[in-house]
Amino acid sequence: MVEHIDVLVRRRRREERRFQLLLFLPTIVFLVLMVLFPLVYSVRISFYDYVRGREPRFIGFGNYAQLFRSEQFWLVTWVTLRITLTCLAIEMGLGLLLGFALSQKVPGMGVLRVLIFLPMMLAPLVAGLFWRLLLDQTFGLVNFFLERLGFQAVEWLTDPRFAIWGIIITDVWQWTPFVVLLVLAGLGTIPQELQEAATLDRASPWMRFRNIYLPYLRMPILLAVLFRSIDTLKMFDVPYILTGGGPGDLTTTLSLLGYRNLFSFFKVGVASAISWFVVIIVNVLVNILLKILSPRRKIPQEMVDTGL
Amino acid sequence: MREETKVVVRRVVFLVVALGITLAFMFPLVWVVLASLKTRLEIFVLPPKWIFLPTLQNYRDIFHSDFMYQLRNSLLVAAISTGVSLVFGSLTAYGFSRYPIRGSDNILFWILSLRMLPPIAVVIPFYLLFRSLGLLDTTLALVLVYCIFNISFSIWVLKGFFDEIPIELEEAAKLDGYSPAQVFFRVSLPLVRPGLATTAIFCLIQSLNEFLVALTLTTRKAVTAPVGLAKLQTFLGTDWGRISAAAVIFMIPVVVFTVFVRNELIRGMSFGRMR
Repeated sequence: MVEHIDVLVRRRRREERRFQLLLFLPTIVFLVLMVLFPLVYSVRISFYDYVRGREPRFIGFGNYAQLFRSEQFWLVTWVTLRITLTCLAIEMGLGLLLGFALSQKVPGMGVLRVLIFLPMMLAPLVAGLFWRLLLDQTFGLVNFFLERLGFQAVEWLTDPRFAIWGIIITDVWQWTPFVVLLVLAGLGTIPQELQEAATLDRASPWMRFRNIYLPYLRMPILLAVLFRSIDTLKMFDVPYILTGGGPGDLTTTLSLLGYRNLFSFFKVGVASAISWFVVIIVNVLVNILLKILSPRRKIPQEMVDTGL
Repeated sequence: MREETKVVVRRVVFLVVALGITLAFMFPLVWVVLASLKTRLEIFVLPPKWIFLPTLQNYRDIFHSDFMYQLRNSLLVAAISTGVSLVFGSLTAYGFSRYPIRGSDNILFWILSLRMLPPIAVVIPFYLLFRSLGLLDTTLALVLVYCIFNISFSIWVLKGFFDEIPIELEEAAKLDGYSPAQVFFRVSLPLVRPGLATTAIFCLIQSLNEFLVALTLTTRKAVTAPVGLAKLQTFLGTDWGRISAAAVIFMIPVVVFTVFVRNELIRGMSFGRMR
């Protein structure tokens, strides 16, 4: 009898182990094959003088050196950072404001909330198309309204001073709702008693914001900054469709520059080097922000606990 | 009494403000829908025409163009990669949820970081690889690449759903003589059905919307709807009626999906769970 149980237990354990293999093995194999191999391959390419149609030649850090010496590369890096920082500032400010405005419990708000989240669900390319139509210099609505209000019409997509703003407007339109979403969720986690206590104590609006809202908004704000900065640093679709990177390279992002090196100039090595530069920037940023989110390098428990 | 009117007034003010904001954000969408119903001439008329006799000619033109084929490609690629990702994702998410191994936090973190990988970095090696394998411009190539993003996303989101299942239910099933695999397939998996639906919808939306990978890996046969839209824009130039009609057709599935997952947007758009 005792022996019998022993056999059963051993069988159970064997079953369990086999099942665990099924759970993890396929995914791990797939991800390792599909991620590690290409990434290692592309690091390797970035060390080669590899122009399509010619035999690749090892040049060490040659591609990187060439990039770092090129004015175009730094201009494009600056453009990418400028778009990222400007979008971040506007989206956070506007998102917080709208979040507070939309957080009131009023009948009909549910419908409005679904509507306002629609832009972020659309393809960025489609958003770019929308704004290409709206910002058109002769028949676009934006210029029409500007002129009505007594301003001068602007060549949004071709004027060196304004083209970057076309990109920014599109991104702000599409992604401010995302910040609103996170802010709303953060505000939703504030206990009712806390707000009532503040009302009874006649706390000033600033005190209320500082001591009640801000602690609960810390995580949503950091998350919004994290996601928005990663996404804008990788931005490709909107400049591709809206301005094509022009005028000159004034709206060319790093991803767009990498794409062009691959397909217009056939410089595979340089394109890989650029793409790795993007990976490194994004990684550094993610690590800094996650350090702030949680000191230990793991998924912050707070994020799970607060409901975010 | 006065306190009550004050509350009502405040509510109305908030509703008006919220309505204004929402309308402002909806405006570009409305404008494109209107443009898709206008004739070529009406689109260029300023001041803009708000009331006009709508025409379906733009939609008719698009229905008879390559765009419908590209939309079909999009839906096909999205559906297959979503299906595959759900299978892989639910297995591994369950694994991470029930059998946390040493270092699984780090592995999870690595999987999560895959979602943040810049597509430009992924696409260059795959372009070269698929070219030498003769897989460029195939649905399979797109499915494979999209699976990277969709599997990592599924694992992350589904783990949250599995974590919420009361462990007692599984213990009870085990006492009834279920093997671990049976517990998973007969007890746990059915319980996370809503989670599977949510995950599927977000995978579908993300795959439908993807542009850079599709642009790089396809040329003709496997072109997807976003790439088709960009091409339309290049070829048609200022024929905005037709471009808008194509954009509207493409948006319909995404809008419908969004309505379905409206309460799960946080989970889907960032890596979190919502109570």
